[in-house]
Amino acid sequence: MAIIEQHREEVAIQGAELPEILLPTNCPGCGIALEQEELRSHNYVCLNCAHHFRLGADVWIPLIADSGSWQERWTDVRSHDLLNWTVPKPYQETVERLLEDGLNEAVRTGTCTVAHQPIWLATFDFGFVGGTLSIVAGERLARGMEQAALSRTPYVLVSASGGARMQEGVLALMQLAKVNAAVGRLHSSGAPFFSVLTDPTFGGTAASLALLGDINIAEPGAAIGFTGPRVIKQATYADLPPGFQSAEFQLAHGQVDMVVPRTELRPLLAHLLEMYP
Amino acid sequence: MSVWEIVELARHPDRPYSLDYIRRLAPDFIELHGDRLSADDPALAGGIGTWHGRTTMFLGHQKGRSLKERVARNWGMMHPEGYRKALRLADHAAKFGFPIVSLIDTPGAYPGAGAEERGIAAAIAHAIMEWFRVPVPIVAAVIGEGGSGGALGMGVADRVIMLENSIYSVASPEAAASIVWRDNSRKVEAAEQLQLTSREIVGMGVVEEVVPEPKGSASADYDAAARALDEALWRHMKPLLDQSSSELLQHRYDRFRYIDSLISAEPHFGPKID
Repeated sequence: MAIIEQHREEVAIQGAELPEILLPTNCPGCGIALEQEELRSHNYVCLNCAHHFRLGADVWIPLIADSGSWQERWTDVRSHDLLNWTVPKPYQETVERLLEDGLNEAVRTGTCTVAHQPIWLATFDFGFVGGTLSIVAGERLARGMEQAALSRTPYVLVSASGGARMQEGVLALMQLAKVNAAVGRLHSSGAPFFSVLTDPTFGGTAASLALLGDINIAEPGAAIGFTGPRVIKQATYADLPPGFQSAEFQLAHGQVDMVVPRTELRPLLAHLLEMYP
Repeated sequence: MSVWEIVELARHPDRPYSLDYIRRLAPDFIELHGDRLSADDPALAGGIGTWHGRTTMFLGHQKGRSLKERVARNWGMMHPEGYRKALRLADHAAKFGFPIVSLIDTPGAYPGAGAEERGIAAAIAHAIMEWFRVPVPIVAAVIGEGGSGGALGMGVADRVIMLENSIYSVASPEAAASIVWRDNSRKVEAAEQLQLTSREIVGMGVVEEVVPEPKGSASADYDAAARALDEALWRHMKPLLDQSSSELLQHRYDRFRYIDSLISAEPHFGPKID
């Protein structure tokens, strides 16, 4: 991995300065007192125990994209309350409040460069209704993949998602088919698809695009699976061993190619982009 | 009838299951087994039969009737091997140019540790992607429960229809209640919110047609229910048989790619029935 070592020195671990995020006072992994500045320059990975904090799309984009290269697309595609979902909370209000908070749906996508190499980037945002796959999320993913396929541009996905969005009913389920149709086109085009799975990636997102990368890259300790542990216990009364559905478990079970710390992700992507021209 | 009564009808233990229909549609049905990798998933029945004069590949989730059979069939909940078996039989159909009929009747994919260990998420993901490449006509019908990704993994088709008292949902009402309310006893409310009945699903443009069931539901008259299903399946299949595979695949792509065009509030939205 000498070349990767070389990239590690040449390619910064983040494309631009990351925004501040809300952090607990102590690390949930090791209990050490946290310092925002130190963590921010270390991609929000605990320097003591390597706990990987969950990041929103607003952090993932500058983490991966070269400074100033990000061109976001289709930001005006919006959710509607198609099912008139009212309990326990009106869906329309939930969505509007999140939009006011500055989050723009569970998936954001656009073009950028990584170490001067052009890519399509899509990143889930767990903060928007649990990063759930919605009509808007599916539409942005499918459009981006179609564009990447047409221009044969490498596609990088960062997932963090609870699955399909209940409040959009069967139309949310249909997003799995809509997106996977586009994944098929992306694969047929010959463009490489690098899928980064972060904590957590479950349900319809795991059962559609997230595990279909040419190379699947998981973050250490990320929980990845189809059915969540709570539901497995409810349904089967099984006691799940520690580490069940972790990134390392998925590596051992053949579902991901590698488990890569977030501080090594960008140099790795830069190198892969050179290897898959 | 209340939404919950429809859910109960869709799940009724006397309701005809896939093999009840398949044996009536194609009395010479021959079951085929195995994914050719490691196992045979009994939650998915598959095989060939002569239907309207043509060898056809039938696939269907199979629930069991007796307790013993239910256990053996795993209540129609597929493991990863089931999706691999389905793709193996789809390849078989493609090789010989057989059209495919897929009957959907499952609470969902199996929510257990073994399924997770053997890659259920990737198995479903791969199946959904690969159905878009199967170059023969596919017509799917939801005949009972269309539950979540486990159902959609068998539901990517050129036409999808539903029996009147069947349901199709992003998650079972119990799972949705558990996710949204963190309380799976709120299943009745969840079922109402999810809009999972055939009337609601056809209204969203997700399926092409609702097939009326005989008086007293499909459970009351298996033969009449099978005749109604046969007529509707064949009406959808017939025009597909004349299409080239490239036309089929383009239309299948478009069918799902624009299945939610309602969001742009386009008038006259909805998959067209030729």
